[in-house]
Amino acid sequence: MNWTGAARTILVCAILIVLHYTLRPLLAWRASVDFLIVALLLGSVRIRPGAAAVYGFLLGLVSDSLAVSGFGAAALAMAIVGFSASWLKAVFFADNLALNAFFLFLAKWLFDLIFLVVSHRSGGAELAMQIFVWSPLSAAATAVAGVIALSLLKPLMEARTT
Amino acid sequence: MASAARLGNKVDAGLLAGCVVLSLVAIVLRPEDREPIAAALRRTVVAPLVGLQQGAERWRSAWVTSAQRQLVVDSLALRAVKAQALVAENDQLRKTMGLGSRLSSGFVPAEALHSTAPGEEIVTTLTLTAGSTAGIKKYSPVVAPDGLVGSIQSADPTMSLAILYTHPDFRASAMSADGSTFGIVYPHRARAGGSEAYMLELRGVPTRAELKPGSAIYTSGLGGTFPRGITIGTIISEIKTSEVWTRTYLVRPAVTPSRITTVLVLTPERVTQGIGNVWGAGVNADSATRRIAAAGDSIAKEAALLEARARQATLDSLRRATIDSVKRSLGLPVVPMTAADSAAQRAVPTAGAQTAPVVRDTAAVRRPAATPVPRRDSIRPDTTRLRQ
Repeated sequence: MNWTGAARTILVCAILIVLHYTLRPLLAWRASVDFLIVALLLGSVRIRPGAAAVYGFLLGLVSDSLAVSGFGAAALAMAIVGFSASWLKAVFFADNLALNAFFLFLAKWLFDLIFLVVSHRSGGAELAMQIFVWSPLSAAATAVAGVIALSLLKPLMEARTT
Repeated sequence: MASAARLGNKVDAGLLAGCVVLSLVAIVLRPEDREPIAAALRRTVVAPLVGLQQGAERWRSAWVTSAQRQLVVDSLALRAVKAQALVAENDQLRKTMGLGSRLSSGFVPAEALHSTAPGEEIVTTLTLTAGSTAGIKKYSPVVAPDGLVGSIQSADPTMSLAILYTHPDFRASAMSADGSTFGIVYPHRARAGGSEAYMLELRGVPTRAELKPGSAIYTSGLGGTFPRGITIGTIISEIKTSEVWTRTYLVRPAVTPSRITTVLVLTPERVTQGIGNVWGAGVNADSATRRIAAAGDSIAKEAALLEARARQATLDSLRRATIDSVKRSLGLPVVPMTAADSAAQRAVPTAGAQTAPVVRDTAAVRRPAATPVPRRDSIRPDTTRLRQ
């Protein structure tokens, strides 16, 4: 990845991070869209797994700093997700929106799974409800929003194919 | 090359392991230890994001608050509309209760359900929630506090159908407030939906009788359907027609059909008895005036009759006194004074001062006072009293 490509990727990731802290509070859905996951996957597939893990760790720390409890849980989850996404970049790089959406869905669900288990925010039926109902819904919303965001930001990402 | 790749993989694994360890350390940190780290992040790197989130949540809060306020405003507006309707209905019910208390009996209260038939642009019929079991019969008058509404067209046991004054079949015999002018009220056939759709026409008014705009029109009681004295409306203007010997007037009804919610149906017995001064009509005041005038006339007539009788009695008395004087001068027996003379004597002052005073020669007319003569009271002929 050259410098232009890196700058464009950073710009797109920045836009997605800003959307996470502006559009998501505005929508205030129960199954919310996680633009940080989209930004994480978009950046992770363009860097090495180790760097993706660090990238995820930093994003997770940003997320944790604004959370009331569970400090470090998002950092752990995002580091694993970022590393995995970078390791599976060959799959993710496929120019197939459905496949990208599926991996966005999986990434978000995996993130929620790790985050909920590690942070000990809930347990029992509530945890099951969160993992099997709200997390899939949130993952689906994230997948849809990610696909839309990737489609809209495609002109900025053209450098990847050239 | 392969060693470089293996090195890279080891570095990646090491970075991942380092991130995982750091994360686990952050997780297991005590709150007082982790909070300074989180606060430092919030004050430095995350500060712009925190600002963005605050702005977004402020927008969200403003939007939600605005929506809630709009809901409150809408609810208040709806309540205000309902309150106005309730005030109007309350006023209508109070008037109806007042009318019911004035009528006191001989009516059936009913709720009016508006029903506009398909193709009708004006309301011509009402469905009433009372029927024949309550005493309603066909052609019973339907009235409201403001005046005449219509008449019953059909009466079922529990409900009835009434035609309004707007119905083409509606007719009512009407008269002016002073009872001097009569006519027949018809529904006014104006353009459908126009401003005159709910007007009436007073037809058949004699040409010599002219009604001024604003004159009140009441039912005349002729025909037997409607009792005398129910307010129909007020004259607006005269309508020019081809009729030569009669006039036609446009009448504004006293009752607005759309505001009718409760009505009273007069029973046939009440129609026969009349409604008296329920609507406070000038008709009744005028009739009272006429009755007072008639009473005054009868008193004057009776006074004149009494005066004539007294005058006749005086003449009779004078004639009799003259005859008695002549008889005395001739030495003939004198007949005692009769009861008619006494009546004449008493009637003279009663009749008033206009009668000429009668001068009698008491010395010449001397009656025998030995025997009491029964005297008859001319005012009350059924009584007699002894003369003192």
